Amino acid sequence: MSEIETAIPCQQRSYAAQVVREVLMQWGARIGIVWIGLLVIVSVFAPFFASSHPLLLSEQSQISSPLLHSLSATDVTLLALFFMVLLLSMVKISVRKKMALALLLGSAVATVCYTFISPPQLNIYEQYREQERAGSYEWLIRAPIPYSPKDYLRDVGDSGLKAPLSATEQTHWFGTDENGADVLSRMIHASRIALSIGFVATGIAMVLGTIIGGLMGYFSGVVDMIGMRLVEIFEAIPVLFLLLTFVAFFGRNLYVMMIIIGITSWTGYARFVRAEFLKLRQQEFVQAAVACGLPLRSILFRHILPNGMAPILVATSFGVASAILAEATLSFLGLGLVDDPSWGQMLNQAVQSATFNWWMAVFPGGAIFLTVFAYNLIGETMRDAIDPYTKKSAK
Amino acid sequence: MLLRVDNLKTYLRAGDDVVKAVDGISFEIDRGETFCLVGESGSGKSITALSVIQLLPKDVCEHPSGNIFFKYRHDDETHEQVDMVTLDEERRRHIRGARIAMIFQEPMTSLNPVFTIGDQIIEALQMHAPTMGHDEARQRAIEALQQVQIPNAAERIDEYPHRLSGGQRQRVMIAMAMACEPDLLIADEPTTALDVTVQAEILRLMKALQQRTGMAMLFITHDFGVVAQIADRLAVMKQGVIVESGTARRLINAPTHEYTRKLLASLPENLQRQKSVNDSLHRGSDTALLELKGLQVYFPIKKGVMQRTVDHVKAVDGIDLTIPQGQILALVGESGCGKSTLGRAILRLTEPTAGQIYFNGQEITTLQRREMQPLRREMQIIFQDPMSSLNPRLSIAATLTEPMKVHGIGESNEERLALAQALLERVQMKGEHLWRYPHEFSGGQRQRIGIARALALNPKFIVCDEVTSALDVSVQAEILQMLLELRRERDLTLLFITHNIGVVEYVSDEMAVMHNGRIVEQGPTDRVSRAPQHSYTQKLLAAVPRVEFGLQQ
Repeated sequence: MSEIETAIPCQQRSYAAQVVREVLMQWGARIGIVWIGLLVIVSVFAPFFASSHPLLLSEQSQISSPLLHSLSATDVTLLALFFMVLLLSMVKISVRKKMALALLLGSAVATVCYTFISPPQLNIYEQYREQERAGSYEWLIRAPIPYSPKDYLRDVGDSGLKAPLSATEQTHWFGTDENGADVLSRMIHASRIALSIGFVATGIAMVLGTIIGGLMGYFSGVVDMIGMRLVEIFEAIPVLFLLLTFVAFFGRNLYVMMIIIGITSWTGYARFVRAEFLKLRQQEFVQAAVACGLPLRSILFRHILPNGMAPILVATSFGVASAILAEATLSFLGLGLVDDPSWGQMLNQAVQSATFNWWMAVFPGGAIFLTVFAYNLIGETMRDAIDPYTKKSAK
Repeated sequence: MLLRVDNLKTYLRAGDDVVKAVDGISFEIDRGETFCLVGESGSGKSITALSVIQLLPKDVCEHPSGNIFFKYRHDDETHEQVDMVTLDEERRRHIRGARIAMIFQEPMTSLNPVFTIGDQIIEALQMHAPTMGHDEARQRAIEALQQVQIPNAAERIDEYPHRLSGGQRQRVMIAMAMACEPDLLIADEPTTALDVTVQAEILRLMKALQQRTGMAMLFITHDFGVVAQIADRLAVMKQGVIVESGTARRLINAPTHEYTRKLLASLPENLQRQKSVNDSLHRGSDTALLELKGLQVYFPIKKGVMQRTVDHVKAVDGIDLTIPQGQILALVGESGCGKSTLGRAILRLTEPTAGQIYFNGQEITTLQRREMQPLRREMQIIFQDPMSSLNPRLSIAATLTEPMKVHGIGESNEERLALAQALLERVQMKGEHLWRYPHEFSGGQRQRIGIARALALNPKFIVCDEVTSALDVSVQAEILQMLLELRRERDLTLLFITHNIGVVEYVSDEMAVMHNGRIVEQGPTDRVSRAPQHSYTQKLLAAVPRVEFGLQQ
């Protein structure tokens, strides 16, 4: 069949651009990307979507914005990063410069935010509603969902476990949880945890796996043998029980969770990278690079890695999904974060009360399902786009 | 007339593109004759063969016009003319295998590895003669294997394909195709993947079988040497059209079409040899640039849990070789003789097990990576496969300038780019090609880029590892001529590794014949190729299919 291939005119695009185009042509991937994009926007602008603090209010002709004052350092950092990435993607410079600039600016912004921004420790959410009832504001603009995730509506009285749209005075689109907090608001703020645990844990795993797998593949021999034994040891660790143990010893901490998920799931990536490096090491262009006397760094990262990156990206997409599930599982078991909202922890609440509260199960459960599904769709399409065999049969 | 192809068109669809792979060709094959289709890659010759037997996938191919008339022989020896294009699939299946059989290029993958060779032949037999019992079929299979000269056929019938060599597998493929005694055998480059000595045996065998059974052969090849050996009549294809056809003798000795002339003129044995002029220049130099002393490269065979070394593959087994400054030494040998390993070991891409390599008088066998670094400028390598020898993710500019930067050639990026551009123009490419990526180039162009990369560091010595074996003859001729020019311009010393004797005779001053990791004969090319001393060299040279020009019609 080589004649068919040679007869087709060569396309004037780089390989990466071709893969991206092919992924975007598939409906599954489009849906997945739209959902993830939506989650990113929701999680970045979470305080503006759901907060008890009014956006703007006028009190004795003085206009103020309690919402802006209550923004935490994390909120501001996320916002700044979001706009920075948006701006950078529009500037026409090389990808490598963009990445370097993003890293540099990102860390600078984060440092500034965390040193200088300190919102009030104590939030009294009720004050705005009480003052409003008392009529001390001339006017005020609220967020679309006027409840913070930790606003338990103590001023309203018995507000726990109300079904969606059942309360008369307040509108709760997705109902309230057992403490009386708005479910939709909690879900919006929980999307941050879902996204960050996926990205950070998988990022750690990918970097570790790529380095160890790359060394194993390139040097082979003894390095490979030791590396593979290490892989086998790590694969034998039951992640869930390790997480449980750590939670028991060190308390509930999101970052510890991310790191543990990361350092126990690098083995899959290491295997992928090792196989790619073993294959590519013998390729003639790598041999040519050695014959030209190029430094090892260039051979590994410029000549081999970019050519073996495709299957790793596919694995990453599935890895993000499984990290999200791991966090949800922990939270569902009641070992997640204490007060901060998380989808898994909300599911846990759904089964804990005496009656079955469907809204507590359906909405967070649906969100977990959709997110994992979206990542799997993207991974699936990427795999098809990269794999020449499935691509041929699809045509 | 056994087969008559009439204005056949085969179009292939890939997405929205339509490729006119075969664009209106007509030819006839008579009983008992061998018809060769010759052409360069992409000329549509394999697609023609697959169209005749109707094996192309239905969803990508169509025949806008044309007929393939085949004289179908019924079991009761009556004949019927059928059109393969319009025939229904059920009847086509009866014809395939029984009346038209096919053998493919790659013997390594055309046998199913999980069945014994006997099972595969018996299955084909029983498919086309359902009344045949198993014992009878087995007997017929053994006879078929004997026919293709598999020694000890009665025992080897129960072996699996992996126990057979490439040549033996091709014999089994032929046995399978011949088992049902077809009227037409289609052979798609059946000897391209084989060594010349094996190729000669297979060609002899096919000729003998044809004489015995009287079958017709449609033989597809790109090699005029093979054509001259086997063809009665031949047709030259170019871009889906037959440009010229006629008897083999007439066509080879008096081609009328310009393209046929160009193809024949591109054969290495027909290339103008400019060597006589500069012979005195290059032969005379007696300072050895490269010297090998007892070089060995062994690959350990490891077994068991403890990875104990039980034996060695002796790829290079004690080689003494001297290449004087400015000489082209050709290293010839069949596949697996260790010639490529030797080439890589000289550059220390593969670590030698024992022996010494002297380059310019300096021993480099045990140099560390850093000590080797300045020498990398002096010694370069050009690879065989143009598809895998360039990094697909780097632009040509990056590929060419990175080594320059590492070795401190050129002051600035701009200067290096200018140098790279000059190099590209030197290898007859355009300067603007710097900004393209490897997948945008053809095989010949990539090989030129590979040469440009090797030249980027101004080396004294280049290992050319089968640089033209993946290329068409016309491109091969251009590349060889360019290499000779470059060697004259830059006073290069070349180690030219190849299996193609024609190329050796054209390009080299001296040749060394390698067999089982050792050099069996070495000497000036003219002397060795005319009067070989060693029995292996004699066998090798005798097996080379040559086009004999100037024969009487």
